[in-house]
Amino acid sequence: MKKLFAAALAAVSVVGLAGCAPSDADGDFVVYVGRSETLIQPLIDQYIAETGIQVQVRYAGSAELAAQILEEGNNSPADVFFAQDAGALGAVSKAGYLQKLDDDLLNLVAPEYRAADGTWMGVSGRVRVFNYNTDKVAESELPSSVLDLAGPEWRGRVGIAPTNSSFQAFVTALAKIEGEEVASQWLSAMKENGVIYEKNSAILEAVESGQVDAGLINHYYWYVLGNERGFENLNSNIAAFESQDVGNLRNVAGVGIVSQDSRAKAFVEFLLSASAQNYFVNETAEYPLIQGVEPLPGLTPLQDIPAPGFDLNDLEALEETLRLIRAAGLI
Amino acid sequence: MQKPPVLTVVLGVFAALLAIVPLGYLVLRMAEGFDAAVTELARPRTLELLTNTVVLVVSVSLTALVVGVVQAWFVVRTNLNYPGFYAVVATVPLAIPSYVLALGYSSIFPWFQGFWASWLILSMATAPYVFLAVSAALLRVDIAAEEVGRSLGLSRLQVFFKITWPQVRTGATAAVLLVALYVLSEFGAIALLRFDTFTRAIYNAYRSSFDRTAAASLALVLVALTLVILLLERRYRGDYLKQRPANPRRLKQDLGKAQTPVTLLLALFGLLGAGLPIAALMNWTLIGSSTTDLGKLLSATLTSVGIAALAAILVSVFALAVSVWVVLHKNKLGSFIEGLIWSNHALPALVVGLALVFFGANITPWIYQSIWLLMIAYLILFLPNGLAAMSTPLAQVPKSLTEVSRSLGQSYRKTLTKVILPIASPGLIAASALVMLTVLKELPATLLLRPTGAETLATRMWSATEELAYAQAAPFALVLVIIAGLPALALNASVRKTYSEVNDA
Repeated sequence: MKKLFAAALAAVSVVGLAGCAPSDADGDFVVYVGRSETLIQPLIDQYIAETGIQVQVRYAGSAELAAQILEEGNNSPADVFFAQDAGALGAVSKAGYLQKLDDDLLNLVAPEYRAADGTWMGVSGRVRVFNYNTDKVAESELPSSVLDLAGPEWRGRVGIAPTNSSFQAFVTALAKIEGEEVASQWLSAMKENGVIYEKNSAILEAVESGQVDAGLINHYYWYVLGNERGFENLNSNIAAFESQDVGNLRNVAGVGIVSQDSRAKAFVEFLLSASAQNYFVNETAEYPLIQGVEPLPGLTPLQDIPAPGFDLNDLEALEETLRLIRAAGLI
Repeated sequence: MQKPPVLTVVLGVFAALLAIVPLGYLVLRMAEGFDAAVTELARPRTLELLTNTVVLVVSVSLTALVVGVVQAWFVVRTNLNYPGFYAVVATVPLAIPSYVLALGYSSIFPWFQGFWASWLILSMATAPYVFLAVSAALLRVDIAAEEVGRSLGLSRLQVFFKITWPQVRTGATAAVLLVALYVLSEFGAIALLRFDTFTRAIYNAYRSSFDRTAAASLALVLVALTLVILLLERRYRGDYLKQRPANPRRLKQDLGKAQTPVTLLLALFGLLGAGLPIAALMNWTLIGSSTTDLGKLLSATLTSVGIAALAAILVSVFALAVSVWVVLHKNKLGSFIEGLIWSNHALPALVVGLALVFFGANITPWIYQSIWLLMIAYLILFLPNGLAAMSTPLAQVPKSLTEVSRSLGQSYRKTLTKVILPIASPGLIAASALVMLTVLKELPATLLLRPTGAETLATRMWSATEELAYAQAAPFALVLVIIAGLPALALNASVRKTYSEVNDA
């Protein structure tokens, strides 16, 4: 029994060393991150190094984390919610779980990239693009609208990520702009035409390897891969749909404060600091949202993207969107 | 009979209470959102999932049956060269979690996904269960009856189906039902290969609907399917335990010219079930070795081992308490408690994880997202394994030794701690080690319940595969096989027994 006890102590200490000792509700500063760990963890590490503040990060899909915060209600351990898109933030805000941000923070970004009620704000900008394998899809074959992907010629050729919140935000916009009927029909067609992946990065890998001909992703995944492997070595390219097409949706990754923890505001300030914004520009090829930081030279400026005029606050209808996607049998 | 020690009763009752949490909470949840649940289940999608799940369960069970029987028959009943080696080959897939198998395949063949992929992976992963049961039965077959059958003019095939098979059937059926349960609760491989069965749909419903009743109601359908198979299992399990000693005299079929093709066939099974995917993972590990984050790998390994060790200790303490109660002080309450604990042994880990997420977030926020909620999940999931493994060494301690100790005036407590437990301890330690290795490989419950920031080998591998980053995922998978799979295989008593019996032949 003594031995067993000693072994138990040893195990507990190993667990402790590995950094997963039982969490202390007051002590830990917890950020729910709905973005890829590969892209975000280096930035978090930088924050920890600069401030000495320990940050516990929970990575998962943005919609999953939004649903989790709703389920947890006032018990939520989260202090900050850093989401991949405005819709997940809007949904949490609608349920009343986000604090109003201070005006000095809000004013850092243009009004179209933040919540009307000031409960969340954009951190970096991104655009939906059509990603295609250059051997499998000819330039002449490029669809002029995302709705064209419902046609029979695309059967089994289009990679989509229905559990990913960027895709979900696009569907919300589709339903708002073209109507729920059109959105439902398009989703049903994608049950045949689409090949389902978990994430944007997986779609891009699949398009690169020729596993699928094309896919719907956010622009920066392609740039990050190009920087990593050399653009000339890529097997795929990206294209925009025709002007004002909802397939070119402009969106933001954004942040909201869930708890009263004083460390939350400092963390949000950090995300909007020049150094973090430059990280987004250089490491993730996203659009900076504050004044004075410029996007990567090759990128079309965010305001010149032929995206449809769309209020990001309308993305909060995430719950209805999930219902549409599930009704189409994609999830 | 002596009353059971108070501590064992307290621990036993606590474990039994925990055992009713998952199902109890799911039912409660569904009752609350009854209308939403009905809407969810009335979707055409539910029927699609049901069909997919049933087709996969049936096809994998049959394939595993055929593969396992073929392997066992050639290894035990023919003059195959190196039968011991092929017995090892037939059981090696047991060392590889099926999601690692799936990763291995899809990293070589990008198109490897959907039904056929899931069918192949799960058949290969589960054939060893059939092999073990059938080879054990074949070793005990009555050879005289076969000889009589042959002498009366039956062909070899007729002898097999009319005389041999009836003697093997109960063991094989029990193994096939085990395979069916395995497939029903499998999550990792199926999700990785993107085939829509209940487990994948439950996980996705959990992740992408605000009303989590959907996930709860799908989970209850999965539980109902599991119950159907359990009822079938009950019907066949009884005969399974009746065993004759291994037959010293074997009637061995001469393979003759078939020696080479049979060898190739058995080697092919080995290649499909272990060789190919492991080679692929090694290849990816080498390709990615320059970018492998060794710190991440090390910390995931430490976290995995730490969590698994803690879980093994907890499970062992409870398993020991309940075993002492049930084996040494059998009474009605003890049997009832044991039954309750066992009732969870077939519950898919994903369902347990899901139920505890709801339960933790709403009812016990103080342990929510802490390691203790995860520990409770492991306790619920693996206490049956611990019980099974610990009862045997305890039951094997000779009664006479207890009586001698008592007659020499030692108190009961002293007898338990100074005589019974030390004698049983090698078996008990092996049992805890086996539990620890099983916990190391667990994926779905860990995924849902791990504390924020805690990454295990399994969860690291999982998130890398979600991005199709094979070179990143491969080292985690390989380490998992090396530190969990292979030792578990070596510890597994039935595997060891089969080797030695086949080798003695």
